[in-house]
Amino acid sequence: MSYLGYVVGAYGVFAAVLAWDLVVPRLQVRRELRLARQRAARQAATPVPTELTR
Amino acid sequence: MNPLLRWFHQLGSPPTFDRFAARWAPWCHAGALVLLAWGTWLALFGVPADYQQGDSFRILFIHVPAAWMSMFVFGVMALYAAIAMVWHIKLCEILAMACAPVGAAFTVVTLATGSIWGKPMWGTWWDWDPRLTTELVLLFLYLGVMGLYHAIDDRRAAARAAGLLAIVGVALLPVIRYSVVWWNSLHQGQTIRMFGESSIDPSMVAPLWIMVGATKLWFAGSLLVRARADNLRRETGKDWVRRLAEGTR
Repeated sequence: MSYLGYVVGAYGVFAAVLAWDLVVPRLQVRRELRLARQRAARQAATPVPTELTR
Repeated sequence: MNPLLRWFHQLGSPPTFDRFAARWAPWCHAGALVLLAWGTWLALFGVPADYQQGDSFRILFIHVPAAWMSMFVFGVMALYAAIAMVWHIKLCEILAMACAPVGAAFTVVTLATGSIWGKPMWGTWWDWDPRLTTELVLLFLYLGVMGLYHAIDDRRAAARAAGLLAIVGVALLPVIRYSVVWWNSLHQGQTIRMFGESSIDPSMVAPLWIMVGATKLWFAGSLLVRARADNLRRETGKDWVRRLAEGTR
């Protein structure tokens, strides 16, 4: 008996979980850097007050 | 100061750790992928079929390294959590919490591949056997650590609470390890030994150790990337993150 289906299924699960583990944290890093860029752009766009305020 | 000690202290600084993780994580994953490809090739095509189990024993080459990693990662997580708790090192909190999803992933692989192997060999997908049950409890512990960490707004308080759960949870590891000795178990006993002679066929040993090395390297890469993401999240708003984001570091 070959059990091919079981072997392919097990290796498929292994590959799928590793792929998830490879991709998701990299997307999180990209997201954090994008948010930091957007924050910096917002701060740059905010006009600096020219008058002294109380 | 000793240069190695100085480097270790510098690594605790968020920007230094970010540079370190960004540099080394791809190398760890690349090395792991090479070893995984090599080990998988040997496991599927290099080793003859087992005389009793046929080809289904080839699942062992992913099941056993994943099972070892599920326990190893939990131990590492508890160690980082203990260091963070004693010396209040923020990076250790981050590293401890970054361990949890990787360990949970390896535990899922262990349970799923064990279940897939169990269907043709035991005639069932699942049995409330001591080894299987304690491994399932380990998965719940990982999920508990992750859930607790995300349930509290204050990141440092969250890491301390989740770290405490990780430290307490270490008590489960010897129970998993010796469950096949302490209780009557459907799961087979210890056949592979790090020190001393293994009772599996010598042709199976090399691919197994290659896969063990691959999963260790994979963990190092995943830990670095996940810790980097959390480090950036905690440091958001700081100048070094802004400079990094704008590509002008």
